[in-house]
Amino acid sequence: MLTVSIRFAAAWLSRAARRGGWMAEGGRACAVIWMLCLLCTLGGGRLVWGQTAKSKTAAVTCATCHAGVVANYVHAPMRHAMEAAGGNPVLDKHPNLTAQVGGYSYSVQTKDGKSTYSVTNGTETLTLPIKWMFGTHSQTWVLEKDGHLYESYVTYFARGEQLGITPGDQRITPTNLTEAMGRKLPIWETQECFKCHASGAVDGAKLTLDTLRPGLDCERCHVGAQQHMVDAEHDNFKTLPKSLKKMDAENVSNLCGSCHRTWDTVMRNHWQGPAFVRFQPYRLEHSRCFIGNDARISCLACHDPHQGVDHNDAVYDAKCLACHGAGKVAAAETVAAGAVTPKICPVSKDKCVSCHMPKVELPGGQAVFTDHFIRVVKAGEGYPD
Amino acid sequence: MFFAPISKAVTEGASNSKDNRAGSWSLWGSAWTRVCLLLLVCVSMAAAEQSALVAAVVQNRQNPQDAQHGQQGAASFDELAGRAAAARDGGNLPLAIDLYGQAERVKPDWAEGWFYLGMLQYSANAYPAAIDAFNHLLVLQPGMPPGMALRGLCEFETGAYDDALRDLEQAVAKGAANQPRNEQILRYHLAELLTRSSRFQDALAQYKFFAAKKIEDEDVLVGMGLAGMRVALLTKDVPAGDREMYQAAGAAGYALLAENTQEADGLFTQLFARYPTAPNLHFFYGFLLFPHTPELAIEQFKSEVSVAPSNLEAHAMLAFSLMITGRYSEAEPEAELVLAKAPDMEMGQLALGRSLAEIGDVKRGTDLLNQVLQADPDNLEAHLGMASVYSRTGRREDADREHKICRSLAK
Repeated sequence: MLTVSIRFAAAWLSRAARRGGWMAEGGRACAVIWMLCLLCTLGGGRLVWGQTAKSKTAAVTCATCHAGVVANYVHAPMRHAMEAAGGNPVLDKHPNLTAQVGGYSYSVQTKDGKSTYSVTNGTETLTLPIKWMFGTHSQTWVLEKDGHLYESYVTYFARGEQLGITPGDQRITPTNLTEAMGRKLPIWETQECFKCHASGAVDGAKLTLDTLRPGLDCERCHVGAQQHMVDAEHDNFKTLPKSLKKMDAENVSNLCGSCHRTWDTVMRNHWQGPAFVRFQPYRLEHSRCFIGNDARISCLACHDPHQGVDHNDAVYDAKCLACHGAGKVAAAETVAAGAVTPKICPVSKDKCVSCHMPKVELPGGQAVFTDHFIRVVKAGEGYPD
Repeated sequence: MFFAPISKAVTEGASNSKDNRAGSWSLWGSAWTRVCLLLLVCVSMAAAEQSALVAAVVQNRQNPQDAQHGQQGAASFDELAGRAAAARDGGNLPLAIDLYGQAERVKPDWAEGWFYLGMLQYSANAYPAAIDAFNHLLVLQPGMPPGMALRGLCEFETGAYDDALRDLEQAVAKGAANQPRNEQILRYHLAELLTRSSRFQDALAQYKFFAAKKIEDEDVLVGMGLAGMRVALLTKDVPAGDREMYQAAGAAGYALLAENTQEADGLFTQLFARYPTAPNLHFFYGFLLFPHTPELAIEQFKSEVSVAPSNLEAHAMLAFSLMITGRYSEAEPEAELVLAKAPDMEMGQLALGRSLAEIGDVKRGTDLLNQVLQADPDNLEAHLGMASVYSRTGRREDADREHKICRSLAK
């Protein structure tokens, strides 16, 4: 690991030198030197050159160069979009979940790191191991029976710390034990589920569950990261993944929307109603203040995907005031006629999102989402599609 | 043959009633069962339509024109009508036809009589005479769904396929297929005719009914295979040597439409291995996957264009799928290829327009999207493209307007 870092450092330095940009690259060069010192310290000050050939390939990870980001990401929700069997904090905390739905009794038992999902109609019982656990707070399970994959009919909801019918499955009335166990997933849905909740689970058109890694790794968003690591090891920095920081709000929405659903996707599917409030890029694009070429309204303006979501409403005030602050409004008023002038809220300058991004309950009331359709909410107003 | 009992019923008589090849379809083996079932077309009419028919019949019986027939004529008509109904109820097909014919000669504006006469003629395989009866009925009751449905079925039997398609399509649109057995008959024939006229997508929409209802039959599968592989033939015209392939393709499509997707994937994979050069097999699978997962459909359309490089529809679907999934740089050359050969193809215009607009050529991209909107102002996909372009280029008011249009169209 150390060897590789040194090679990276050397490459950066040589690049900077080639560009004649020591001033421009000075900060980075200093950072590299600092990192070298740190690594030497962490490694006991010994440079283990002799291990280079054997260990360098195995040791290279994103963390090799991006240690801080990776350290944060370890705790991010996207990293835990799927939990590994045997290390599931939700089920470890609730080792005995039960529910009665219709004529069926459900039981999710966890013991010694192994979880099982059972359903019974009183005379017959179906018990299956839980292999794939989707979600960090609320959690739905994908089960395997006779070579087919099923979405569990009941889900654990963090809000009430209990089991309830999986969102979208309320319309299903099970007619047998297998249907009561779960909804048989079509191949396209399994692909989408695993693609957005795990890594290495889909290869082209095929599901490759044997290579699945729970949660999303760097490559999911930073396409080309794997190649970049390989090339960087050989001092080749020409194959950098596309910088997401330079993307406009429209592109960021589309990237995030590949899992969280884009505005286009919702429109094309004619989805309506509060069940779709959970698709944030779509809701955000509804907002009057959304415009594709303004980075201040992109998903990344408020959220760092490498970190957890901050539930302190006040944290987001600065983002709103970046456009709706008094100084910003005055500046906007000086631009050409016809430009939209951001308004200043007459009520408050604190906790903007608490009023302008209301919480919406999913049908069934099992979960609550922040509506990303930023707007002036009027009293008594229904959910706006 | 799945639907053969319909036409064979009268000639083969009771022998067909022993035919259990199609389960409940053997019910069609009896001519009189057929009559009774066809009566359901009328019985299952929407209440308003029933009322209209009854009102018309009552009106006809009270029509002042009756006076022209004289007291003697009216009495004869009532007697004939009564005897005709009794013969029909008693299962005496030839007598019933004769009596209804006589009654109609006395009172040619008797709609109910034309309906029963047409239906009885149809049951007797006298299709031209049945068409004539339904023509009279539809003059008296224009657009009456059961009349159109039955005339369409008769036209199908006489080989007047374009007329049959027109009638059956209108009848189904107006609700004639609102009773389970009728629905199967009407949708199957309509699907066949849609396939024959190269309206493959519409045909598959009709066949989807059979998969959803788990109605599986050899002819349905062959028909579905033809529609899926875009072969404009009726099932009866399929060369014997090709029938197995179309049936297998239909079975794979049926499995997918019945949401047995893993089974469908396996069946399609077997088909690809067995018929590696058959055109439109990959297209069929891709077409069925597209509404659910354009990503997976792309793989099939790519395979299709490698099997049949000149398949323009496959190139168009590939370009469109790539565009839908945001792979604009890949979509652009495919769409260019499509538009070079078919400049007016809307799908190509949309794929190229959106792709160009997204990858930088905003001018040409918006021109193409506007071209689509000129021909089809409510095209959601074109409006989505325009909304994206305006948003990306900071034209807030235009973007707001397009967003509103999209929201309205999406409802």
